[in-house]
Amino acid sequence: MKNSLGALLALGFAGLQFLTVLLVVFSSYLTSERALIGHARDLLHDVGTNTIEHSKGFLSPAHGAAVLAARLAQNDVVASDDPEQLEKLLFQQLQLVPQFSGIFFGTDDGEFVYVMRSHPVGRFRSKIITYAGGKRTTELIWRNDKFEILDRKFDPTDTYDPRERPWFKSARETNGTIWTDPYIFFTSQQPGLTLASPVESGGQGRKGVMGVDIEISSISDFLSRLKVGHTGKALIINKNGDVIAHPDQGLIKIENDDGSLRFVTIGEIDDPIARTAFSPLFKRDGEAPVVPETTSQFVFDGATYVSVVMPVVSDILPWTIAVYAPQDDFTEVIKHNRATNIWIAALVAVVTGAIGLILANYIHRPVRAFAVRSALISQGELDPSEPPPNTYKELENANDALVQEIVARKKAEREYGQTFELSSRAMAQVASDTGQIIRVNERFCDITGYQPDEITRMQFSDLADPADPRFPSSTEFLADNDLPLNSEMRCICKDGTAIWVKVNAITIRNQNGKPLHAVVTMDDVTRAKAKEQQILQLNRDLSHLARGKTMGQMASGLAHELNQPLAAIAQNVDAALLTVGQGPETDPELREILVEIEEQSIRAGDIIRALRGFIAKDEGNRTTFDFGELLEQTRRLVQADANEAGAVIQTRLSDLPRVEGNRVQIAQVILNLLRNSIEAMAGQPEGQKKVLVFSHLKDGQVCICVEDTGPGIDPSIKLFSEFETTKPDGMGLGLSICRSIIEANGGELWHDESCKSGARFCFTLPPHTDTPAAGSPAPGTT
Amino acid sequence: MTKDNTDSETAGDTAVMADTDLPVFVVDDDRDVRTSLPRALRKRGFTVEVFDSARSFMESCDNERPGCLVLDYRMPGMSGLELQKHMNDLGYSIPIIFISGHGGVPESVQAIKGGAVDFLEKPFRPAVLAERINAACKLLVVELEARAECAQLRAKFDRLTQRESEIVARMVENPAEISSKEIGRFLGISPRTIDHHRARILEKLEIKSAAELIDLAGKLERICS
Repeated sequence: MKNSLGALLALGFAGLQFLTVLLVVFSSYLTSERALIGHARDLLHDVGTNTIEHSKGFLSPAHGAAVLAARLAQNDVVASDDPEQLEKLLFQQLQLVPQFSGIFFGTDDGEFVYVMRSHPVGRFRSKIITYAGGKRTTELIWRNDKFEILDRKFDPTDTYDPRERPWFKSARETNGTIWTDPYIFFTSQQPGLTLASPVESGGQGRKGVMGVDIEISSISDFLSRLKVGHTGKALIINKNGDVIAHPDQGLIKIENDDGSLRFVTIGEIDDPIARTAFSPLFKRDGEAPVVPETTSQFVFDGATYVSVVMPVVSDILPWTIAVYAPQDDFTEVIKHNRATNIWIAALVAVVTGAIGLILANYIHRPVRAFAVRSALISQGELDPSEPPPNTYKELENANDALVQEIVARKKAEREYGQTFELSSRAMAQVASDTGQIIRVNERFCDITGYQPDEITRMQFSDLADPADPRFPSSTEFLADNDLPLNSEMRCICKDGTAIWVKVNAITIRNQNGKPLHAVVTMDDVTRAKAKEQQILQLNRDLSHLARGKTMGQMASGLAHELNQPLAAIAQNVDAALLTVGQGPETDPELREILVEIEEQSIRAGDIIRALRGFIAKDEGNRTTFDFGELLEQTRRLVQADANEAGAVIQTRLSDLPRVEGNRVQIAQVILNLLRNSIEAMAGQPEGQKKVLVFSHLKDGQVCICVEDTGPGIDPSIKLFSEFETTKPDGMGLGLSICRSIIEANGGELWHDESCKSGARFCFTLPPHTDTPAAGSPAPGTT
Repeated sequence: MTKDNTDSETAGDTAVMADTDLPVFVVDDDRDVRTSLPRALRKRGFTVEVFDSARSFMESCDNERPGCLVLDYRMPGMSGLELQKHMNDLGYSIPIIFISGHGGVPESVQAIKGGAVDFLEKPFRPAVLAERINAACKLLVVELEARAECAQLRAKFDRLTQRESEIVARMVENPAEISSKEIGRFLGISPRTIDHHRARILEKLEIKSAAELIDLAGKLERICS
């Protein structure tokens, strides 16, 4: 099965396109989900990284400043034993580093200078604990940003001892800079952490610990400013599980039983999503989960969330950044977008599919028109020479080639068909295997008498005459045979008459040599066969005549000529007798002799008359016949002689009535005249030897003339006389015999002297009449 | 007439001589026959004229010169039969005796049909021919005499005027009513005038009575028909 170009084009343009759109949509549907989640995680990761960086950026200057302050104190830059100088130094430091909420220095002696930011902004408060003379004094000084004292008072109730504080102890123990865990500052109630660095007094300075309070609520502020999706959050969890930064700062502080504040742990926080997401990571209390960056997905309250946990920032800041956000925050728009995309894709698929179909149709239309045209041509409803529809060049070329082929083929078919139909010979197509007659032409029907529809139901062997002695072999040509066959067979017509036909059969084969059918050509040779038979008979009769009757004919012919001298003899004898009788002396013997001569001449006449009976008897053989037919048959007998002599015999017969006579005798006359003419022209140049036989009606008689282009008859020759001849080997009897034959048949034969170009001999024959011939009345009529 | 010329009665009678002085015309293409036949006939006393073809005879023949024609049946060019037909066409009444070396029943029948008095096959006994010529001439003489009488009568009758011819015709037609009164009534003329005409008629016809007139008219009818 061949593919239709139209279907292929439709499939190619519309189907493939539709499929492609579908594939793209589905793959994007599948991959976008994953990409979105990846994207969300990346976003969360960025948030975490940002937060880490922000925290570091927030804390590291503080760290640097704290270390610097400690160095200053250590290097006697600050007269640390002078509380006022120290306060001023700390004040300057505090103003420099905005991250600091407070800066302080505690000595091993328990003295303490603390400068901190106070409310409102730009106000500072200092707390100075001194042991002057063993007496503990705690003074509180409020200053503005110009270090001018706004207020001061003493606080005798104060019991604060720096040496008791954890930061002091840690710094002293580690003898290096330490960071405390974040905690809620007592005074400001803000989350923060303390950085402490021991100060080793070199000279006049005192040993102690320099500390800086850094509020980290700004980290929470930062977190609250971070946009993680729509509703996502980032939080910082300390290694012990405390939530130290949260966008909602209120959530991270919780009151202890004693009224002090502490950080809420991840397990306690009033953020159920964060709690669900991250609390499992901090089950072991106090131990930071050393985790690589972990992304996860979880479901809370029916919604899907993604979360990222960043590893601990550093050893000194053992914090974990946890970020979560609902997946929908990232995917909802894209999902929506994707749905829209699917619709658009579907629409595009439909539209482009339609365009594809239209395009396919447009491309296919000329091909289709071509196909329709091909179908019409193949059904014979369209002439291939009709101009083809406007189509592609390639198709047009193919069409041209095919049209040429078709035209040539149709021409051949038409010619064959016409040859077949119009042939003057009977033709038939016969199936080689079954002998079934497939098709016949008109002539075939004429010959056999059957109608075409009758004959195509027959087998060829049905036509053969079973009585034909060659019957079994007469249809042998139907056998698979390469050789054309020629044979004669007898055939039975529809009306039962038997005819002779000459059959020629050839087997038509296809390219593979398989026989398709036999083409049988048939001629009705019944008449020709009959004529042939007649000619044979005539020839037989003539030769019989020549053999058996020539003497009789000759005698008969001679008789006519002899009668003349016999008549003369009779007359002369008579004259002699009379002369003798008139003479004075009569010898009786002479008279007797003369009388005998007279009697003998009369007797000779009687004998001759009896001889004529040979011909007279033949009158019984008189028949009515067509002279033209007899002439034609006779002509054939001398044709060989004529060919040999290079002479042409032409006949020009008018429409003659049938004539009456002895057919064989008349044939002999014609034969004789024709032979005479041919022989007489022997001396003529080639191409000028022509014998013309023509006819006309003369006084009711049929007159036939034989004319040649020979030298003519010498006037000195006495024609129709015995022994007068122009032929070296002739006896001069031919014409004489011919004349007697023609006369015996009721006609005349003469030499027409009016013909100057050659010799012309004419003879007449009585036409056939219904009444008995005029020349044969009952004998004895007087 | 007969075609049997082996007649035993005349076979030995060679003494048949011409009993007519009418000429015999011999037409034959055979030279020997032309020589011998006229000679034999002349010996018997016939006047003979010889022609070698039908055409040459035709050229010299004349109806005013009666004679007997001995004609060869078969000749080149114009045959005897054709000459006979030609003479008949011209209205010449000349007795013809055909002689033929090719004789046969069909030929003789044709010749006789054409009015020939006889048909002899060559060779024939000269005496027979002479006899036949005499017979033919006898008939011819009778005919010639009749013809002459007819001509004479006709000449007499031709002298009559038209009116006179009418009167004669009426008298011959109705011999019972030949009185002048009856004829006058018939023709619407007075009997006196009829009488006058009748006298003129008898005078012109050189007769004396009405009976003779009717007789004469009957004779004319008989001879000239």
